[in-house]
Amino acid sequence: MSTLLKLEQVETFIGQYHILQGISFEVPKGEVTVLLGRNGAGKTTTLRTIMGLNTASKGSVLFKEEEIKSLPTYSIANKGIGYVPEDQGIFAGLTVEENIKVAVKKENDETQQRLDWILDLFPDLKKFWKKPGGLLSGGQKQMLSIARAYVNDNELLLIDEPSKGLAPIVVEKVMESIQQMKDKTTIILVEQNFMMASTIGDSFYIIDDGRTVSNGSMNLLREDEEMRRKYLGIA
Amino acid sequence: MMTRMFSNRMNIIYLLVAGFLALLPFVYDSRSLLILLSQVFIFAVLAMSYDILLGYTGIVSFGHAMFFGIGAYTVGVFMKRFEPETSYFLLAVLVTILLTAVVSYIVGLLTLRLKSHFYAMLTMAFAGLFLVLAEKWRSVTYGNDGFTFRVPEFLKDRTDFYLICLVSMVIVFILLKRFTNSPLGRVLQAIRENEQRTESLGYSVLQYKVIASVVSGVIAGIAGILYAVSLRFVNTSVFTMDITLDALLMTIIGGVGTLVGAIIGAGIIEFSHHWLTELAKVHWIFERWIIFFGIIYILAVMFFPMGIVGSLQKLKFRKKKKASVPVGSETVSQGDS
Amino acid sequence: MDVLINLSLNGLATGMLIFLLAAGLTLIFGLMDVLNFAHGGLFAWGAYSGIWIYTTTGSFLVGILGAILTGMILGIITERWIIKPVYGNHVQQILITLGLMLVLSEMLKVVWGPNQISAVTPDYLSGSWEFGGIIIIKYRVFIIAVGFAVFLAVQYLLKKTKIGLVVRAGVMNKEMVQSLGVNIQRVFMFVFMIGAGMAALGGMLLGPYSGVIYADMGMEFAILAFIVVVIGGMGSFTGSVMAAILVGLSGSFMAYYVPDLALAANMLLMAVVLIFRPQGLFGAKG
Ligand SMILES: Nc1ncnc2c1ncn2[C@@H]1O[C@H](COP(=O)(O)OP(=O)(O)OP(=O)(O)O)[C@@H](O)[C@H]1O
Ligand SMILES: [Mg+2]
Repeated sequence: MSTLLKLEQVETFIGQYHILQGISFEVPKGEVTVLLGRNGAGKTTTLRTIMGLNTASKGSVLFKEEEIKSLPTYSIANKGIGYVPEDQGIFAGLTVEENIKVAVKKENDETQQRLDWILDLFPDLKKFWKKPGGLLSGGQKQMLSIARAYVNDNELLLIDEPSKGLAPIVVEKVMESIQQMKDKTTIILVEQNFMMASTIGDSFYIIDDGRTVSNGSMNLLREDEEMRRKYLGIA
Repeated sequence: MMTRMFSNRMNIIYLLVAGFLALLPFVYDSRSLLILLSQVFIFAVLAMSYDILLGYTGIVSFGHAMFFGIGAYTVGVFMKRFEPETSYFLLAVLVTILLTAVVSYIVGLLTLRLKSHFYAMLTMAFAGLFLVLAEKWRSVTYGNDGFTFRVPEFLKDRTDFYLICLVSMVIVFILLKRFTNSPLGRVLQAIRENEQRTESLGYSVLQYKVIASVVSGVIAGIAGILYAVSLRFVNTSVFTMDITLDALLMTIIGGVGTLVGAIIGAGIIEFSHHWLTELAKVHWIFERWIIFFGIIYILAVMFFPMGIVGSLQKLKFRKKKKASVPVGSETVSQGDS
Repeated sequence: MDVLINLSLNGLATGMLIFLLAAGLTLIFGLMDVLNFAHGGLFAWGAYSGIWIYTTTGSFLVGILGAILTGMILGIITERWIIKPVYGNHVQQILITLGLMLVLSEMLKVVWGPNQISAVTPDYLSGSWEFGGIIIIKYRVFIIAVGFAVFLAVQYLLKKTKIGLVVRAGVMNKEMVQSLGVNIQRVFMFVFMIGAGMAALGGMLLGPYSGVIYADMGMEFAILAFIVVVIGGMGSFTGSVMAAILVGLSGSFMAYYVPDLALAANMLLMAVVLIFRPQGLFGAKG
């Protein structure tokens, strides 16, 4: 299986703070790679660095073997990477429809098909098609954000803690949709909710204090209680 | 250590320059040069007061003329309405200090909570209100045209006045140097470098900014007094944006956050103004001298945000000391809003 | 009645001119977080270049187009060379755009001389109509019409086109727009160009309205435009048109009834809004 994205010893500063101090991982095409780690470990910063929203000062970020580390955010996005940020990044004053329209790059049949598919998955979005994004519930915002990232033919989706602050039943719904998208794209999923992550993920990386400290297949982590306790604070 | 040594050597240089300037009228008697230099000293005081805001606290005020104008009008009105005597003059100084302190305190409290753009505009609006007041309150200000007035005996002689301006500038310089090196001044610089961090360290940023604006306002008022006395005339121009712009140009070109820079900037601008106006007789383009400064100023903001003095200091300390932070360097990150 | 109508028309016309200046300011602020203190300079450049082209070619329309073009070119230069290097640093932005304002006004004097220049209304727009004893000056109506048309056009652009959608989204969340593959720098430049073009158009239209143009007109109108931007809410396009009309009307009526307080009243209004409702009267950036 080929590698879609590869980070090698990536280091990132935010202002004067050395946030990422050595992140390395590989994302195989067609799989869900889960990034785990406690609060403040640097998971979000890792995704932002891939998107070019923070700039890596050292190391390399290879997407399909091409260095994208110093590209501007928009051209990284245009290479086929979709981003669902931690705060969902919904344009509050734009309607659901407009939120999706901003994202659409090519208005063709294929896009329409993808849109129909994702709207079937999230019927709420269809229901509130003309409602301003700011008035959606937390779960609906999450769905909108995912739909927006999915609607283009992206090869890789970065999804940051989609379960954050959602009721368990909504989390399930969101996770189910990610499960379904899995067949169509490659996904990097940041998730604190280990149960959820472990059902969807193929492999995992643990980030601690800005470094990738451990990795393996998801099954491995399911069995290794001690590692879970050590890095994730859960049993 | 290094700083101490450096500043000792600098102190000697400052002393020599001040001594030279003090002796100048006795060795080289040129009336026009004395007038020009007095003007430089007065604007140096104004520019130093501006530097407290821009260079030391990292805020841009567009209303600094307000305090300058208050000083100018106060002394003018006192000399005109009462007698041009020393006692009334001193009273005028006192009233100026009180007025500028009160006004800068109130305006500061109202404006300094706002983000930089809004602050700049609101101070501009307040200065605008004072300008309108000076235009319309004719019974006191004689409207747009202003009025002339006589000055007390001890201010009449050009040489004496020159020396008074020089001494004022030196005193203000020393006081502000002390002020900026005091713990309070350090907090201000911390605010300039990182407002949030200072706030999170438990300092009330607003309170410190207000203090800076009061100090700066009072000193600008003093500059206004000297200015009006030097002309023996005052009109609404003292409240215009041009005064603020002058202070800004001088501070930026000389070097922000250094105080000496403000003095040097005042010298450069006043002297060039003088010479370029002379040159205007040769070619009209020199009448548009401000354009040169506008361009230099833009280049300075872009490439030498620390101005002449700041850049020199940086060169000097490059290896020994961490470079001082350029003007108002907020955290520069892509797309922060 | 006659007086009321004329004061209203006058106020509306002035309001529209201020709107042309303020609209660009507010859009640029909303999208780029840049308050362009040199915007008044673009306004004055529009006036000078437009009037110059108008008197040289004899065609008012060509003058208007020339003004807009000049404004756009200057806008691109400003964005690219002056503002771009200092994005994200507010203090430097304020300082540098102010410096540019100085240079722009002085350059006007270098190119066209320091004296004011007279500007005449083209024949087909001069004169007035009379309706039942009420005299209505044609040129004022023309300004109102143009201002209104520009408002509708920009409104259409913002609400109905993809680039407008991107601009509105950018005002709300710049990072996200980029993460969706939009080159925001290009959008910045586009908006700056439009804003500068509108400002220049405003300056050009002011010429025949006031009869003369002079270098400081940029600063004078810019102050009114700043007031409008604050009252309307920084970043709010509809807010800017409402506030511009408000300021225009209040200016016109105050100038007639209490002339001493006209500008002061607007300044006070802005101060009060800034102190009590810094997001503006008509909503603000989302
Ligand atoms: N703008 C910033 N300035 C300074 N420090 C920051 C900034 N953004 C993030 N950090 C710091 O970087 C570290 C990593 O943050 P990040 O958001 O990547 O963590 P995370 O793993 O996503 O945490 P969480 O699970 O809480 O979302 C944290 O210590 C955080 O405080
Ligand atoms: Mg996070």
